[in-house]
Amino acid sequence: MSIDLSRREFLKLATLSVASTAGACVPINSRTKDILEPQVLPPEDILPGDTTYYASTCRQCPAGCGIIVGTINGRAKKIEGNPAYPINRGKLCARGQAGLQDLYHPDRLRNAVKQSGGRGSRKFEALYWEDAIALLIQKLAGIDPVRVAFLGGKMPDHLYFLSSRWLEAMGAPPLVRFNLQSTLDGRITASKAAQSLFGSRQLPIYDIANAEVIFSFGANFLDTWQSPVAYSQQFGEFRQGQAGGRGFFVQFEPRLSSTAASADEWVPLRPGTDGLVALALGRIIVEKGLGHVGAFSQEEADLFRDVHVGELAEASQVQVEKLEQLALILASADRSLVIPGGYPAGQKNGFASYKAIQGLNLILRRIGQRGGVYLSQPSPIDTLPGAPAMDSFMEIMALIERMNSGEVEVLLIHGANPVYELPSAAGFVEAVNRVPFVVSFSSIVDETAVQSDLILPDHSYLETWGYQVASPGGDRPSVSSQQPVVQPLYDTRSTGNLILVLAEEQGGEVAEVLPWANELLFLEDASGGLFLSSLSPYNVKTAGDFWSAWRQYGGWWTRRELYQEPDVTGFFDQPLKAIEPSFEGESEEYPYHLYPYSGVALGDGSCAHLPWLQELPDPMTTACWQTWVEINPQTAHSIGVKDNEIVKVISPYGEITAVVVVYPGIRPDVIAVPFGQGHTDSGHYAANRGANPMQLLAAVSDEDSGELAWGATRVRVEPTGETHELARLESLEGEGRETIR
Amino acid sequence: MKEEKLFAENSPISSNRRWGMVIDLDRCTGCQACVVACHAENNVPVVGEAEAAYGRWMHWIHIERYWEGEYPNIKARFMPVLCQQCDEAPCEPVCPVFATYHTDEGLNAQIYNRCIGTRYCGSACPYKVRTFNWFDPEFPEPLKEQLNPNVTVRTRGIMEKCTFCIQRIRQVEEGAKMADRVLEDGEIQPACAQSCPPGAIVFGNLEDEDSLASKLASSRRSFRLLDELGTGPAVIYLKGGETNV
Repeated sequence: MSIDLSRREFLKLATLSVASTAGACVPINSRTKDILEPQVLPPEDILPGDTTYYASTCRQCPAGCGIIVGTINGRAKKIEGNPAYPINRGKLCARGQAGLQDLYHPDRLRNAVKQSGGRGSRKFEALYWEDAIALLIQKLAGIDPVRVAFLGGKMPDHLYFLSSRWLEAMGAPPLVRFNLQSTLDGRITASKAAQSLFGSRQLPIYDIANAEVIFSFGANFLDTWQSPVAYSQQFGEFRQGQAGGRGFFVQFEPRLSSTAASADEWVPLRPGTDGLVALALGRIIVEKGLGHVGAFSQEEADLFRDVHVGELAEASQVQVEKLEQLALILASADRSLVIPGGYPAGQKNGFASYKAIQGLNLILRRIGQRGGVYLSQPSPIDTLPGAPAMDSFMEIMALIERMNSGEVEVLLIHGANPVYELPSAAGFVEAVNRVPFVVSFSSIVDETAVQSDLILPDHSYLETWGYQVASPGGDRPSVSSQQPVVQPLYDTRSTGNLILVLAEEQGGEVAEVLPWANELLFLEDASGGLFLSSLSPYNVKTAGDFWSAWRQYGGWWTRRELYQEPDVTGFFDQPLKAIEPSFEGESEEYPYHLYPYSGVALGDGSCAHLPWLQELPDPMTTACWQTWVEINPQTAHSIGVKDNEIVKVISPYGEITAVVVVYPGIRPDVIAVPFGQGHTDSGHYAANRGANPMQLLAAVSDEDSGELAWGATRVRVEPTGETHELARLESLEGEGRETIR
Repeated sequence: MKEEKLFAENSPISSNRRWGMVIDLDRCTGCQACVVACHAENNVPVVGEAEAAYGRWMHWIHIERYWEGEYPNIKARFMPVLCQQCDEAPCEPVCPVFATYHTDEGLNAQIYNRCIGTRYCGSACPYKVRTFNWFDPEFPEPLKEQLNPNVTVRTRGIMEKCTFCIQRIRQVEEGAKMADRVLEDGEIQPACAQSCPPGAIVFGNLEDEDSLASKLASSRRSFRLLDELGTGPAVIYLKGGETNV
């Protein structure tokens, strides 16, 4: 038989024949679960072989970029940036791209479980959701609500809203939130400083794209700081997109990060002296009347009156001549911009340093100006409030204290991994042992889930609903929507829905303030108020159309840019202060400053379970899959260690082992260790690999901001005589020439 | 004034398309977004720590980092390196089974099911951008759901490399043909260019003088990697550290 049949026709015929067979089979097979159903009429959003895109929100770091996810035949295949969303404008970082592996991770929990062998046993027993919920309700009902604690972290804003309201209605203490990346970003300090200086808790945003000169104090805005995709995109414009030519960028930090590598000048600053340098620069500008005539008022100049440049130069180890040169560069530009980053905030003098650095923007008249500093816009509508900045380390310590004194009987943990993310010295593990009942909502068994009794896995962020008001925001008020891009893979449940179910079961006032049957209805209800806004980016005629557009576009933002200009009166309460940095550990015994950092691949460690990111070379060391310690060549020589040798890094609080990378871009008195590895759990790609620098850190904070002083620990380094060949792109066998292997 | 021609007179390109890429090193921040974008788009496997330490990593695009100077006057520069899609590609003539060949759009294509794994092409390539599957790739369930069905998953013994996201090129080309319209500049975006946060990567037709890629390529900052080898790369770099105006 020879029939001239094209492929398309063949497929059509084949499908029809399958259809008729299957149709005939249905009654016979109806008792069994598996019915062969041809996709002659597939679901309306699935075009076989074609890509369907859904707009949503990335949850891999606190920045909250807009994403669109390409799905084929109901499977998520590729995550891209949402081109319409005003924060990241179609761009996306490495971690955002890797979100697919969070969805399809082989080690995800597939149902609710209780740890039947006791905490830490890792012996889990599957539970029906009804039983799991009944167990939780029983535990909650048996105690005084003030003995409930909810520790949150990187949670979507709708969950923040629902859980806060739930706790309040129950009469339980408010949600406490901790997130390591937010701490490393200095968000708590930035928010508190904004409250003090600008009278608003909104985070400042920096108009990098339109600046001429940027001085960044430890802000790694091209690595992981705050909103790296938005700032990287602006950086591209700053470099080559401006009509006036190429911007000039100076980075101050003890280690040459990839942000510093992109700078025109790197100043390897002594740890903790950022504020001192900023004050000295300000004093020089004021004293010499640099820059534009009359740029600053007497009142502004007075802020720097208690400052002695010579003393600060000595303390910061930056020469007076160098400071004068830098001050001239800063003051001469029309649009200069000074950015206070995470590292200065992670010192015991962090708050004072932050204010001093922001003070430069004040005297340069850069606040509320193009190429300068604005404030993030709050949520465009009250029914969709943005979550405030995370709680400070001091507040986490207060929770640990409550746990230790037996005041917490039920502890709920969502989106946080405190066992991994807090300094071991903070004693969270010891404290959690004193809590009778611990519930984790983690979708993978992480270090904290191992310390819990019940795990009620939330969906992956690609399977569930939500919204987020990005903070720092973009150039206009915006709120992004999050929606499922695939059907949930497993028998997991959205924690937002779970709280609504709990509230309904609890009844009374709790059920009254949370009247929605599920989170979807809440979102439809809460976002609906934006429908009538005249600033809307899309034209819709009915509330139903608005709800479609809200999901289709990935949220709502104003059509035009709209900046919020800060009010600066808060600066003038008292002159800016110079506070000398102080460190934990005596310098004789612990000669090096420890600089732990969040790299572009694993960030703060919450993405370490993703194999794409594990094998992603660090931009500076080109290493992956391990924890390394970066040591200046001169220091490495004096300790007697070489590349690939394993050393012990010892602080007064603990020790870790790591592989040496001789790193030419770091101060001789500083060693750097990336965060990310050192998991004991969190899936098989992450577990038992490398070390967690949190084991070294002192549990101290800046008294003014309450922020963890993560940069204030000193360490010593001891060789072990062992070696480990680090996986890296770069070959060490080039005899001085850099080669790829 | 006529621009200098971008590729050699004896170039084997016959179509009116010469796909090329311009990478602005002044914008590149080394952030690695392109690397993961490429892994996701092209089903590039991860090999694990031991194999990666052996130099068997499989990134189709990688960021090279070069140190200049010594502490404290030290700089680091980044250079994303991917298949340069050479006009005179050293990888092509060495393949005994013609698995690697030149398309009429100027791409160096690799026919996976023709490849017998001699790795001659990898040895011949001066850019170190061809990677070899020493083992079958592993995608433990349900990780294989992430695989892009438009791209073949390569098995053990196969050489692979950057294709300029040929599946995306074809998809847009065929879409334009079906709609009976001309391709627009910027319509085709390889995964790396699409994700690149600072907008360092621009893809386009170098035969079209009006394309953004052509315009950028004529910058006085432009250079090509190992140009002296005469390979005629279609990837054009723009030197960092200086202004274009």
